Amino acid sequence: MLSYALRRLLGMIPTLLIISVVCFAVIKLQPGSFFDQYRDDPRVTKAQIDAYNHRYALDQPNVVQYFIWLRNILFHGDLGYSFANDRPVTSMIGERLGWTVFLSVLTLLVSWLLAVPLGIYTALGQAAFSNPRKTLGDRVAIGANYLMNFFGYISMAIPDFLVALLLVGWLLAHHKTNVGGLFSPEFIDAPWSWAKVKDLLSHLWVPMIAIGLEGVAGLMRQMRASMLDVINQDYVRTARAKGLAPRTVLWRHAVRNAVNPLISLAGLSLPSLISGTIVASIVLNLPTIGPFLYDSLINKDQFVSMALLMFSALLLLLGNLLADLALASVDPRVRFE
Amino acid sequence: MQRTSLFLTLTALLAAPATAQAQAQTKGNVPASLFQSIGKKGGTLTLSLVSSPQSFNYFAVLDNNSYTVLNNVFDRLITLDPLTNKLYPDLAESWSMTPDGRTATLKLRKGVKWSDGQTFDADDVMFTLDDLASNTGLKANQSALFKIGKEPLKFTKVDQYTVKVTAPKPYGAMLQVLTFVPILPQHKLAKYNPVKDPDAFSKAWTTNTPLTDIVGTGPYVLSKYTVDQKVALVRNPYSWRRDPAGNVLPYMDKLEYLIIKSPDAQIASFRAGQLDSAPISGSQFPDLKRQELGGAKFRVIRGVGLNNPPVHLAFNQDAKDANLKKAFSDVKFRQALEYAVNRPRIVDTVFNGLASNPGFGVAPVSEWFNPLTKTMLSEFDLKKAATRLDALGYRDTNGDGVRNFSGGGPNVEFSLLHAADSSIMPGIATIIQSDFGKVGIKVNLQGVTGSTVLPTAMAGNFEAALNSFGDQPDPQLRKDIWQPGGALNYWHRAVQPAHEGDTPNLSAMQPYEKQIYTLFAQAEASGDQKKRKQWYDQWQLLFARNIPVIMIAKPDSVAAFQARIGNFYVKDNAVITSNYTMYEK
Repeated sequence: MLSYALRRLLGMIPTLLIISVVCFAVIKLQPGSFFDQYRDDPRVTKAQIDAYNHRYALDQPNVVQYFIWLRNILFHGDLGYSFANDRPVTSMIGERLGWTVFLSVLTLLVSWLLAVPLGIYTALGQAAFSNPRKTLGDRVAIGANYLMNFFGYISMAIPDFLVALLLVGWLLAHHKTNVGGLFSPEFIDAPWSWAKVKDLLSHLWVPMIAIGLEGVAGLMRQMRASMLDVINQDYVRTARAKGLAPRTVLWRHAVRNAVNPLISLAGLSLPSLISGTIVASIVLNLPTIGPFLYDSLINKDQFVSMALLMFSALLLLLGNLLADLALASVDPRVRFE
Repeated sequence: MQRTSLFLTLTALLAAPATAQAQAQTKGNVPASLFQSIGKKGGTLTLSLVSSPQSFNYFAVLDNNSYTVLNNVFDRLITLDPLTNKLYPDLAESWSMTPDGRTATLKLRKGVKWSDGQTFDADDVMFTLDDLASNTGLKANQSALFKIGKEPLKFTKVDQYTVKVTAPKPYGAMLQVLTFVPILPQHKLAKYNPVKDPDAFSKAWTTNTPLTDIVGTGPYVLSKYTVDQKVALVRNPYSWRRDPAGNVLPYMDKLEYLIIKSPDAQIASFRAGQLDSAPISGSQFPDLKRQELGGAKFRVIRGVGLNNPPVHLAFNQDAKDANLKKAFSDVKFRQALEYAVNRPRIVDTVFNGLASNPGFGVAPVSEWFNPLTKTMLSEFDLKKAATRLDALGYRDTNGDGVRNFSGGGPNVEFSLLHAADSSIMPGIATIIQSDFGKVGIKVNLQGVTGSTVLPTAMAGNFEAALNSFGDQPDPQLRKDIWQPGGALNYWHRAVQPAHEGDTPNLSAMQPYEKQIYTLFAQAEASGDQKKRKQWYDQWQLLFARNIPVIMIAKPDSVAAFQARIGNFYVKDNAVITSNYTMYEK
C-alpha cells in the first residue's frame, strides 16, 4: 500500500507540471497585466509601469516567464508576489486558509451527516411502493419519500447564493441581526470566549443551510441511487434469506457497499475549498479564500490566481489519492495492482 | 494668510448668528459647518469597506479602501470646508501668499504629536512632500500635481514650524494641491529610504505590519485588523482636534470598518443595525426612504455633491472609420445629436430622480461655476435633431430607416462603449440608443467591464463612449481631462503630445480647442484668482458652445445613517458628515 501511495505521489509530478502549463496559459490569455490598469491613472507614468513590468519579468516572453515562475516555486518555495498588496502570495493565502478550511470541512460534514441517512431512508422507502397491500406505515413512508425527493429536487435547483439571499431577507424581516459574516461586529476581533462561540453558532447556521443544502440534495440522490442498486443484489437477498437481522443486512451488507461511490465523490470535493462557494461567500460576507481568488482574477494579480489555481489542482489530486486509499480500506475487493 | 483667515472668520460669523457660537469658534479648530450640534463623547462608529485594504502605506498603494481607512489616521496640511468647499486650516494653521502668487508660506500647527508621542514638525512635512509625494518611484505619488508644465514646485523648510512652497511661475492651484497630500511620519518611514529604494519602501507598512508602527496625527489610530472581516481603529490619544466648545474630537472612542463585499449585504447589515452608515445608490434610495417613513430607525438624506462624477457621452474624433471621424469632429453633428439626448428621462428612470443637470467641467455648486452656462444644455427635441441632421446632409438615401453619410455613403452607425456592470451606464446607453434610433442614427451597445472602459477609450479603441470623471473644486485639478492634449482627453487623442508633459500637437487642434488650451495655460500660471475665474468662465462657455463631449447628468449625493447618530445632516444642499464629529445621541 505504501509503495502504491508513493507511486501515485510520483505520478502527480508530471500531471502537476502539465496543469501548471495550463494554469499559466489561461492566466496569460487575458490581455494585459496588472499594471496596465495604472495606465489611465495620471499619477503613474508610463516609465514607471514599464519599470514594474520589468521588475516582475512581465516584459519577458511568456515561455521565459513560465520558467522563472516554475524555478521560484521549485527552488525557492516562492509562489510569487501579490502586486496589489505588495506582499508574498504565500502569507496572504496563509492568513485566509483557517476560516476557509473550517467552513468547508464543516459544511462537508453537515451535508454528509444529513445526506447519507436521508439517501438510505428514501431508498428503503422505495420498498413501500411495491407492497401490494399498503399499510399505514407504508403510506407514511411513501409520503415522506415524496417529500424528501421534492426537497431534493428543489434544493438542487436553487443556487446557493439565492438561498443565502432569501435567508438574509427572512432574517431582516424578523429583525434579526445575524445577516452575514461569521460574527457580530463586536466579536470579530474579540478573544475566544463562550460568548464568542455562541455568537459564531448563531451566525453559522445560515451558511450551513445555504451552502450545505445543495450538497445534501446531490449526495442524497447519489446515495439513494447506489442503495437502490445494492438493495436488489443477490447477496442482499441471500443475507436476508439466511435470517440475518434487517439492521445487520442494511448496515453490513447494503450500506457498506453502497457508500463506495460517495467516497470517490468526497475526494473530488476537496478543491471546492477554494472555488466552491465564491458567490455565496460574497453574498453572506464570509471570510473565505473564494472572493480572494475572484478579486485576483479580476485585477489580473497573476501570481495570486496562479498560486490558487495550482493549489486547487493539487487538492484535487490529493483528494483523489486519499479517496482511493480510503476506498481500498473499506472495500477489500479493491487492490493496488 | 490674512485674507484667508479673515474670510473664514467672516463665513463663520455669517453661518452662526448667535454670538456665543461665534465666540466658541475661537476654541474649535475644525470647520464649524461640521457641527449641527455639540456632541458627546463615547461609543463606536461602525462603517463598511467593500474590500480589504491592500496596504497601509499611503503612497505605495492605489486602493480606495486603503485610503478610506488611512484618511482617519493621517492629516493633510490644508483641508476643505465641506459646506463652502473653501480652504480650511488642517496641519497648517495659517498661510500667506506673496503678491506675485509664486510663494506660499505655511505656518504649521504647534503642539501636534504623532500617536506615539513624537513631535510633529516641518521635517515630517518636508519628508512627505519631497521623498514620498514627489517620488515617482512610488505607485501613488502625486508629482503630477506638483508640476507646472515640466517644472516642479519647490518645498523648503524655513524653521521647525514653517514651510515655504515656491512655484517656478505663478501657480493658481498651489494651495489646493496640498489638500491631497497626507503627511506621514519621518521618524517611522525615513529608515526605508524611499528615494534610494522605492521597492523596499513599498513593502513597508503592508497589511501584516504590527499596527503600533503605523502612527499618525489624525483623529484615529489603527488598533486591529482581522483579515477580510474588520479594520478597527481607536481614538488617537494625542488628537489635536477640538469642537467649537473646546471638547476633544473625535467624539467616538472607536471607529470600525466591517469588510462587506456585496452592496446588498452592506444594506442588509445596515438595516440590521450593524452599520451606522452605508453607502447607498440612487436605486436603493426610494426603498430605504419608504422604510424610513414606515418607522425604521434610520435616516436617508440627499444633497448635491461637488465631486459626484457627471456622466458624459464622448465621440472619438480620431475614429478609425473616416466617415465617423469627420462627423464626430463636426460640432454641428454633435449639437444635432445633443437634441436627441433625453436628460429628464435618464434622470427619472436611471437615477430615480436623484440627479441634476451637470455643469460644463465644473460642478454647479462650485464657486468656479459659470452661471451663464446654466441654460446652455439643449432641450430634448427629436424634431430639431432630425431637421439639423437633414440640413447637415445625413439623409436616409437607401430607405432602411437609418441615415446615410452624404453622397449615398454607408449607414450612420456607431458602437457605444459603456460599463456593463455599472448600475447606471447600461440604462443611459439604452435610452440613448433608442432615441438616436428614432432620428435615424443606429447605435450598437458595447458593454464591457467597468474597469476596462477608460483604458479602452484611452487606447483610442472606440467610436462613442459613456464615461464619468469626478469634479474638483479648482478646474486646474481637472486639466488632464478638459485641456486639449491632456492625458485623459481621450476623445481627441491626435492632439496629445508624443511624450508626456511636452507641448501638445497644437496644429491638430480645432480653433476652440486652441482657445481652451491657452485659457488653461494662462489660468495655471497665474496667482490672481479673479483673473483665473474669468478665464475658467470663458472656458466653460467654449465648452458649452462646442460640446467636445455631451454632458448628461450629475448624480446627487445620497446617504443613509442610523437615527441615533448626530452631526450627519444636510445644509445648503450639501451632505455634511465626518468620522470625528459624528456622535451617539
